[in-house]
Amino acid sequence: MTVNLTDRMKAWIEAMGCHLCVATPEGVPFVVLGRYAKATANDEVAFALAEDEMKVIAPALSENPRVAFGVSRQGGIRAAYQFKGTGELLRSGSVFDTVAAQAKEEKGIDAGAVLLVRLTELYCTKPGYEAGQRLDGMSPEDLDAWERQRWKDVPRKKD
Amino acid sequence: MVKFTKEMKEALRVPGKGGSLIYLCTSNRDGNPNIAAMRFVATHMDDKILIADMFLLKTKANIKENPEVAVTICHPLDEGRWWVFRGKAVDMEYGFPRDFDWYGANATDILNEWGNWNKAEPPDEVPPDIVFPKAVQRGVVVVHVEEAYSIEPGHVGEKVLEG
Repeated sequence: MTVNLTDRMKAWIEAMGCHLCVATPEGVPFVVLGRYAKATANDEVAFALAEDEMKVIAPALSENPRVAFGVSRQGGIRAAYQFKGTGELLRSGSVFDTVAAQAKEEKGIDAGAVLLVRLTELYCTKPGYEAGQRLDGMSPEDLDAWERQRWKDVPRKKD
Repeated sequence: MVKFTKEMKEALRVPGKGGSLIYLCTSNRDGNPNIAAMRFVATHMDDKILIADMFLLKTKANIKENPEVAVTICHPLDEGRWWVFRGKAVDMEYGFPRDFDWYGANATDILNEWGNWNKAEPPDEVPPDIVFPKAVQRGVVVVHVEEAYSIEPGHVGEKVLEG
């Protein structure tokens, strides 16, 4: 399905970073932080990873590209979404160069790789009757309206 | 067998009591990962993490077919809480045999103490636009932790607990 990130979702993702979850093909999960995140399109998020962060997820990712992530810090509750897609570790190219340079400048991260996640699924994780509601496939306008009915707060960027 | 540190036990409690919002990461048997934030968290013995089964959907289905899970601190992160706990989980639901045992954790003990978690530790700190109108608890997820690694910048992947 098509994922259309709202401006508010992008703001939370970029301000707080995300917890990234991958799994081996047999289902053993691994988690690292994506401390620097950049929404590179409405359905794409790039994370700058230091070498040691990349090493934790690279073995699983090389066999199974599926990635799930949630927003870190207050975003775990204020940005009640789960994002899913397929991930690719980039070590060169224009996306790597751009995101790695921004991560260095803004957060001092020496990126060994950039994890580019192409989003295919989006879920609401607000506890209660909307938990698990699938939101991908909604038009950008409908998703924006759906979100605005519930939340409007946008975070300040975390140092 | 691992042994939680004092700091870990303090962190693995509900946020309103100085603890943390956590992420529970699961996967189905085919490697489709899932990550969901949880408020109701506690430790049991020295190597078990307890999480309320409220509103669990994919997490629940995944645990039923694949016990491998990871638990990590979502918020706050700035107090040295840079851990990922890995282990095996079961969802001890009401109706489990009273003598059911998960690596030394007894179902009767767990459900007696943690089976009505919302009443014991109500979500007073959760914002009104997020808090659920009515809690329905179906059980308690018990994670038997076998190892933990760091996600602290500069130390990512280093073992902080080993069985």
